[in-house]
Amino acid sequence: MGLIGYLLLAAGLFSLGVFGLVTRKNAVGVMVAVELMANAVNLNLVAFSRFHGGNTGQVFALFSIAITVAEVVVGLALVILLFRARGDVTLDLASELKE
Amino acid sequence: MIIPHFTLNDFLPVMPVGVLMAAAIVLMLSEVFLTSTTRTYQAIIAALASIVAGGIAVNNAFEPARLVLQGYAVLDPFSSWTTAMVCLGTFLAVLLSAGFLKHRNAERGEFYALMLFAAAGMSLLSLSAEFITLFINLEVLSVATYALTAFLRRGPRPSEAGFKYFILGAFAAALLLYGAALIYGATGATKLVEVSAALPAAFAKSPALVYAGLGLVLAGFAFKVAAVPFHMWTPDVYEGAPTPVTALMSAGVKAAAFVAMVRTFLFLVKGIDPVIPFTVFSLLALLTMVGGNLLALPQRNVKRMLAYSSIAHAGYMLLGVAALFAPKLVEAGAKVGVLTATPLTGTAQDVSVAVYKGLLFYILGYTVTSLGAFGTISALERREDETRGNTWDLERFAGLAQRKPGWAAAMALFMLSLGGVPPTVGFLGKLFLFSAAVDAGLLGLAIVGVLSSVIGVYFYLRVVVYMFMRPAPIDAPAPFRHWTTELALVTSAVLVVGLGILPGTITEWFSRVGMVFGH
Repeated sequence: MGLIGYLLLAAGLFSLGVFGLVTRKNAVGVMVAVELMANAVNLNLVAFSRFHGGNTGQVFALFSIAITVAEVVVGLALVILLFRARGDVTLDLASELKE
Repeated sequence: MIIPHFTLNDFLPVMPVGVLMAAAIVLMLSEVFLTSTTRTYQAIIAALASIVAGGIAVNNAFEPARLVLQGYAVLDPFSSWTTAMVCLGTFLAVLLSAGFLKHRNAERGEFYALMLFAAAGMSLLSLSAEFITLFINLEVLSVATYALTAFLRRGPRPSEAGFKYFILGAFAAALLLYGAALIYGATGATKLVEVSAALPAAFAKSPALVYAGLGLVLAGFAFKVAAVPFHMWTPDVYEGAPTPVTALMSAGVKAAAFVAMVRTFLFLVKGIDPVIPFTVFSLLALLTMVGGNLLALPQRNVKRMLAYSSIAHAGYMLLGVAALFAPKLVEAGAKVGVLTATPLTGTAQDVSVAVYKGLLFYILGYTVTSLGAFGTISALERREDETRGNTWDLERFAGLAQRKPGWAAAMALFMLSLGGVPPTVGFLGKLFLFSAAVDAGLLGLAIVGVLSSVIGVYFYLRVVVYMFMRPAPIDAPAPFRHWTTELALVTSAVLVVGLGILPGTITEWFSRVGMVFGH
């Protein structure tokens, strides 16, 4: 599989993530979708790194993983807060953001 | 990638950020070792740190433009002034928070540390000249603001606002990251200088990759600056966040994201048809100016109205950005070369200088005005409002002039400044920005800007009308009193009028931001 294969796979994963973000009602599901988007990008970065030689892309991917983890920690804390405030974690982003 | 070896000297240009970070760590540690129940001392430490950091940034603004940290960041007057304004915004927001949190009985130790971390992220974001650095700083600032948004835990609103902000912020960051990855794939570099050098060849080889990358990076930034049509999260998040945090978000986060966007695209448009970025930014500016003002029009909730108004103001700043990419200026800039470390001269460059000056002055004006406006609102909030829905209704402002003439006068001043009425800083900012845009050849867009700001005057003045001409309801709340809140409001009010009457030295200093690292 050449570079183009990886790029298409990553684009597919990213689109799945966007789709999940828009359609999921569960807050945890939405977070999984966001994670999927970030990981699609990491795949891209590593594939490009291999393609170009050198390891800039891999370093970028490492940083991206570390930062996404930090972000998700805060996100999960927010989910807990949401659960405490409302008793459930379902939300309808698509309709709530309408205005 | 060669792992860079930094020496201490490399870090001197980013000293302001160091001060903010160090103070944030001190505040977190003090929370471990000190068990005092009042935390005004933390606000004072945080305010002092932002003054010191801002002072260093102002000092840096007079240094020549250059790459620092081995090409990972730039030091130029444009970013240094932004850092200084971020520090000013943080200073005012910290003072507002001290009174606000005490009144809400929500003084907890992590608040000021988070605010300083956010400020450090904002300052570094405006300096970044490399995609990894850019992404890290964007996240430093975002993660801190997510936590701050949901800081008041009572009631459903903060958690909803926090989570919404988190999801949309993470989405925007993922878009930006994807774009950066594609651009890295096309050019093989992450430093903006190297990317810019490799872009023309990359365009010839794989234009689709580069266009997709540029589009995704732009979309990521557009979310952060809340440009229409990427603005949906703004009203809910701004309404749900603690008011001083909203003030910091509307001023600091936006300013930093703007400057980072300008800097990134000054590098990234090389080799691309100059009409494309100009058209895209003009369109964004048009939609954001008109959309923000029209959406704010029916709002009776003053905090929500200010959120929409911040979108409109982002539109005016985008007008400045569009002016920077006007074909006339891009042609002139191309002749100057990569590093324009000397003051630009000649007609076209003069316009470029005027645009940078206008942008910076507008950001400065919006920072002081917005902090003042949100600060006044925060003083009228009550703890028991958290479970009710009408906290920021216009009725709450009715008759404020009879009850508290000083507060009403200050709020009226901030509203006039937001509307762009002389003699306030908001008027001068619009004047500089719009006249620079006209000089750059954006006459039509500038006219739309002026007309849409006339719409804005209606809903700003409506607040003034309620304060001065309507009788006060019986259960009208009086503003709480705390010396830090009052100090912050007096400072903003003095700056709003002072800069509006005597902009003198400041504009002269800002003119030197013609020395911008880019193109």
